[in-house]
Amino acid sequence: MSIDGSIVFQIIAFGILLWLLSKYAFGPLMSVMEKRKEHVLEEMRTAETNRAEADKLLKEQEASMQQTRQEAYQIIEQAKQTSARQADEIVEDAKATAAKLKEDALKDIENEKSKAAQTLRAQVGAMSIMIASKIIEQKLDEKSQQQLVDKYLKEVGGKL
Amino acid sequence: MHESPMIELFGIPFDLSNLIMITITCLVVFLIAVLGTRRLSVDNPGKMQNFLEWVVEFIHNMIASTMDMKQGKSFIMLGITLIMYIFVANMLGLPFALSLHFYEAPTFFGIPISPDLYAEAAHAKDVSLLFWKSPTASMSATMGLALIVIVMVHYLGVTRNTKNYFKHYIDPVPAFFPLHIIEKVSQFLTLGLRLFGNIYAGEVLIGVILMTASAGVLAGIGGMIPLIVWQAFSIFVGTIQAFVFTILTMVYISQSIAKDH
Repeated sequence: MSIDGSIVFQIIAFGILLWLLSKYAFGPLMSVMEKRKEHVLEEMRTAETNRAEADKLLKEQEASMQQTRQEAYQIIEQAKQTSARQADEIVEDAKATAAKLKEDALKDIENEKSKAAQTLRAQVGAMSIMIASKIIEQKLDEKSQQQLVDKYLKEVGGKL
Repeated sequence: MHESPMIELFGIPFDLSNLIMITITCLVVFLIAVLGTRRLSVDNPGKMQNFLEWVVEFIHNMIASTMDMKQGKSFIMLGITLIMYIFVANMLGLPFALSLHFYEAPTFFGIPISPDLYAEAAHAKDVSLLFWKSPTASMSATMGLALIVIVMVHYLGVTRNTKNYFKHYIDPVPAFFPLHIIEKVSQFLTLGLRLFGNIYAGEVLIGVILMTASAGVLAGIGGMIPLIVWQAFSIFVGTIQAFVFTILTMVYISQSIAKDH
């Protein structure tokens, strides 16, 4: 066992292997590893930015939510007030209308009553004249006279 | 005992099994890496991609533990190739060994294999040539790797860290110069020989267990247990040695390019 010419072959072969490995296998592999490292760093940076953005947006959202809630509260309050006022108005209107209707009805009743009384008076007058003329036409005794008066009065009463 | 099939090219002897196994190891490593990175995905990596990314992370952390990552980034590829190559090389010899007996002296594309052995042997088939083994079980392969690393370490020291590099040889006093030289030489030798020794010893012991086990049926059954135990331990040793070689490489590099000593 000693050193022979294969030492030269070993050196050359190792050199070639080193060159081939770096060119066809580990060169590309290491560039891929480098790319992955870059990729991860980039992702981390993006994630950081995104988180900051998200935080900002969240704060904005919260602020706008608060504002909206306040506005909604105000609107509800306003609506409540408006509705209460309207209800009052409606009740007032109804009351006024009812009072007017009652008044009108009373007036109508009064009118009708006085109209009826007038008609009655006019008819009673006419009848009295008719009765009187009948009595004057027939000069009768007291008894028949009484009979006649009763009779006419009865007629009048039936008419009335 | 198994012999290495040797061939002679340009007057230099080459271990043919080394040439074959180094090529196979490179192919296996390359196939694993290429198949694992075929469908790369940024956000949905597959199992193999995850595994290879784990390897990259592992080497990244290893380098980060020895030096500044700004300088260390360029050594990630070296670390990955080293650990994958040595690990695969260590594992290849474990499942089986392939030794061939030829009836005639074999040739490799017309070049005679180990002509001396066949000239000495009475019968050609007495010669056992070991073709499949861990390439890291040969000194040529491990010292080749160590040579790459040590040359690189010193080159980096001279070019990137000139003043400190030369100053540290006479640190703290010039009398320490020989010690530093011994340290550098032993760094080179231990880096290669540690790996070789561990893997070679592992394969030798597997060979010994197999030889014992082939003595008879009972020995065969009895030999199963130490074989399983030793192979499991060899997996462990192979993994550890791949790790040790890689991290020592990174430590040596970081020492030679360190600005302050």
